[in-house]
Amino acid sequence: MKMNENIFFVLAKENGFEAADLIFEHSYSLSCSVFHKEVDSLTESDSYSVVGRGIVNGKFGLVSTEKIDKDTPEFLIKGIKETAGLIETNDPSIIFKGSEKYHKKNVFNKEVLSGDLTKQIEVLRLIEEKLRAYDKRIDEVAVVGYDETLSESTLSNSYGLKLKDKTATVSYYAEVTAKQGEEIQTGFKVFASIDPKEFDLEKFVKDVAEDALRKLGSVQCESKKYPTVLSPRTSSQLLKAYLSNLDAEEVEKKSSLFVGKLHQQIASKKLTVIEDPLKKNIFFEYHDEEGVATYKKFLIKKGILETYLYTLETAKKAGVEPTGNGARGARTGSTLHYSYVKPGKKSLDELLAPIQEGVYITNLEGLHAGMNTRSGNFSLQAQGFMIRNGKLAEPLSLITVAGNLVEVFSSIKEIGSDSEFQLNGLESPSIYIKKLAISGK
Amino acid sequence: MLSKKQAIEVLNAGLSTGADYAEIFIEDRTNHGYGVENGEVKTATVSNTYGAGIRLLNKLQSVYGYTNDVSKKGLLSLASALSHSFEGKQEVFVKSLKLKNVKNRHPHIRPNDTVSDEEKIAWLKRGDKVMKEASDKIVRRNCSFSHYVNNITLITSKGFIFKDSKERARAYLSCVAAEGDKIEVGGAGPGASAGFEYFEKNVDVEKVAKEAADSALLMLNAKECPSGKMTVVIGNGFGGVIFHEACGHALEASAVSKNLSVFAGKLGKQIASPIVTAYDDGTIVNGWGSNNIDDEGNPTHRTVLIEKGILKSYLIDNFNGRRMGMEGNGACRRESYKFEPTSRMSNTFIGNGKSTPEEIIKATKLGLYAKSLKGGSVNPATGEFNFGCSEAYIIRDGKICEPVRGASLIGSGAEVLMNIDMIGNDLERAQGMCGAASGSIPTDVGQPTIRVQNILVGGNGGELK
Repeated sequence: MKMNENIFFVLAKENGFEAADLIFEHSYSLSCSVFHKEVDSLTESDSYSVVGRGIVNGKFGLVSTEKIDKDTPEFLIKGIKETAGLIETNDPSIIFKGSEKYHKKNVFNKEVLSGDLTKQIEVLRLIEEKLRAYDKRIDEVAVVGYDETLSESTLSNSYGLKLKDKTATVSYYAEVTAKQGEEIQTGFKVFASIDPKEFDLEKFVKDVAEDALRKLGSVQCESKKYPTVLSPRTSSQLLKAYLSNLDAEEVEKKSSLFVGKLHQQIASKKLTVIEDPLKKNIFFEYHDEEGVATYKKFLIKKGILETYLYTLETAKKAGVEPTGNGARGARTGSTLHYSYVKPGKKSLDELLAPIQEGVYITNLEGLHAGMNTRSGNFSLQAQGFMIRNGKLAEPLSLITVAGNLVEVFSSIKEIGSDSEFQLNGLESPSIYIKKLAISGK
Repeated sequence: MLSKKQAIEVLNAGLSTGADYAEIFIEDRTNHGYGVENGEVKTATVSNTYGAGIRLLNKLQSVYGYTNDVSKKGLLSLASALSHSFEGKQEVFVKSLKLKNVKNRHPHIRPNDTVSDEEKIAWLKRGDKVMKEASDKIVRRNCSFSHYVNNITLITSKGFIFKDSKERARAYLSCVAAEGDKIEVGGAGPGASAGFEYFEKNVDVEKVAKEAADSALLMLNAKECPSGKMTVVIGNGFGGVIFHEACGHALEASAVSKNLSVFAGKLGKQIASPIVTAYDDGTIVNGWGSNNIDDEGNPTHRTVLIEKGILKSYLIDNFNGRRMGMEGNGACRRESYKFEPTSRMSNTFIGNGKSTPEEIIKATKLGLYAKSLKGGSVNPATGEFNFGCSEAYIIRDGKICEPVRGASLIGSGAEVLMNIDMIGNDLERAQGMCGAASGSIPTDVGQPTIRVQNILVGGNGGELK
């Protein structure tokens, strides 16, 4: 499906728009899942959408549609006029002329798009078989699934800027339940990459099965404060919540934990976080959704806050350059691109070694409900292991971990070397926190 | 739009390789959104969702596809691509299609599309003003309103065409309170399958806004919540998210049919305290989670899930029902044409009990009063759930005492249901969005005030004394 962009821009000009832009998106995907060796679901999709924006009398109007035909340009123009006419705020409305330089890289790998699920269904059956054979206590393989998706988008505007993107992502996912007596535990994993060759089937099977098996025999620990080591995944989850305070708008509106903290200590000296949007992976972005070029930068350097995340609007208000973190929705906000924590030197075993009694947290649940990113307070359902005499001991389930993000990241004792890629886009190793309140019994 | 003849052709293309059921789901939805921030309109949007999904079933297999190309050519090409998943001969033939009249049971007196932008914005500004005047400590106010009309056409190989038009609207009023280093948020989101009359008559916007502001301000100065196992009194309305998470998801056929639910095989057995009766009711007039028909064309239903503690029914869609040997009961839903539909909740709630809320508090010596809750999540296979409290207090000697912040409630659904020992007579429902396999859909949660023994409370305030 195509829409004539020129007609849209000509109409925009005729209607007196100061500037206008369009984001055109196309997505094609094939996916399937297997249950008890049979294909229980198979999906093919092909969809298009277009979002039009325009500045009328200094105000933004915004319209999106999935009905793309010869009438679309007029539909967009009419809606933009109507919605722009309602806006009352005097915030700057900016459509971007373009950055001096874009670091575009080709991340599209056509091998991802097999176009044929027959072979993949056999792979899924094999994964299911191996999961069942892995251990007698694996009770059920709830799902084994595969997905390949092509995403294309074009951002163009009335200044002649045109930025194109094309990526293809392959993913595998599986969930199992493990049973021991009456106790049931679940194991789950998603693998996603721009390179199908990275998929290691044996490791995937092991990770899914062990995720469930190692939780069997879980108990609740005594409620108290423990030296706590956060796994790579849970470190990333908590840090991602903390970094949501980097949004310059939250700072401007005084609802961020980082108000007045630029170039000040916001975490332990051991913590360094780098944003690298140009790294070739599923999160690669050479420009943000406003068209600003992205670049590699320190977010936190040895505990010091290096930058907030600015959009065109918040940058203009603050009198600084935009940072390439614009994200568009009903309103433009900021987003964090792929980032990573600079790993330390110690392995997980070395991190655990000095801890006589502590807790290793492997899972955190309910972050949307139990985490207040604005105040930094959290109280979350968790799973993990006791640490006894420097080693992982009995598994823990139905425990809660509570604290405050500022305190957590200010009291880092050690950062591990066991960095793991995370699907939330923030790569992290295990992080050893001096003490956290854990509730159980 | 597809003619009957074209639809028959598409369905038969889907059925050509042995599928025993085919359906076409076409959606055309226009959404209008308004956002007032700190007293001024900051956003206004129009968005149109348009496309079609085709589903083919062959015994226990399903294939699904979607596209924005709703022309005969686009749908034929999708149906034929999907049919390649099967290798048999056509056994089901569609010869004719009959239009089934879908009666609208959710009247709209003032359709939101006919209400001027100015009137909707003025309503939001009434809420904004109350929050602004509540305190200087309210540093941010966000009031939004959105509404849509969703025109659905569902065509099935059973020979029927269903045409339905759904209108929904929701407001969201929220604020941020700040004092020194402390920041708290408050908010509420009333919504309905109704026109603007609902917001004029049934929602006291000033009251909703004041409560949101007061809650954020109160939590600013609250102490950290203590932790450990406690007796917990959970407030009415959104408190029902406990039942939604602890039990509702585990009653969905998508989990039950594959034996992936703690409640699989428990029909007729006691799964809750004998004082618990609970419902899923997709028929409530103008209810946020209500529909006329579900996404398989079955009429929505008032389903008794639990009666006096005994499990009576699951939430079943036709496809998962096949694995269970049971019929669908109007519970098949999806976010949009981009999602294959499956069994979901609608308006799910615990029915009224006999105690007054005051009696419940009075009968509690030491515990937590979770007046209002935020969302939560559950693992249906283990039944383990969590949810966060947005406003909570300690109960001492039968009285509501100091407020506490940062409380979360953790437990296993099966245990919590058995541990409900008092139920109030003040049933209320509240609106939410529920996310699961078939996307994010509007649902109501609800309950009277209830008391639960022995819930694990997470917090950073040490032991409860």
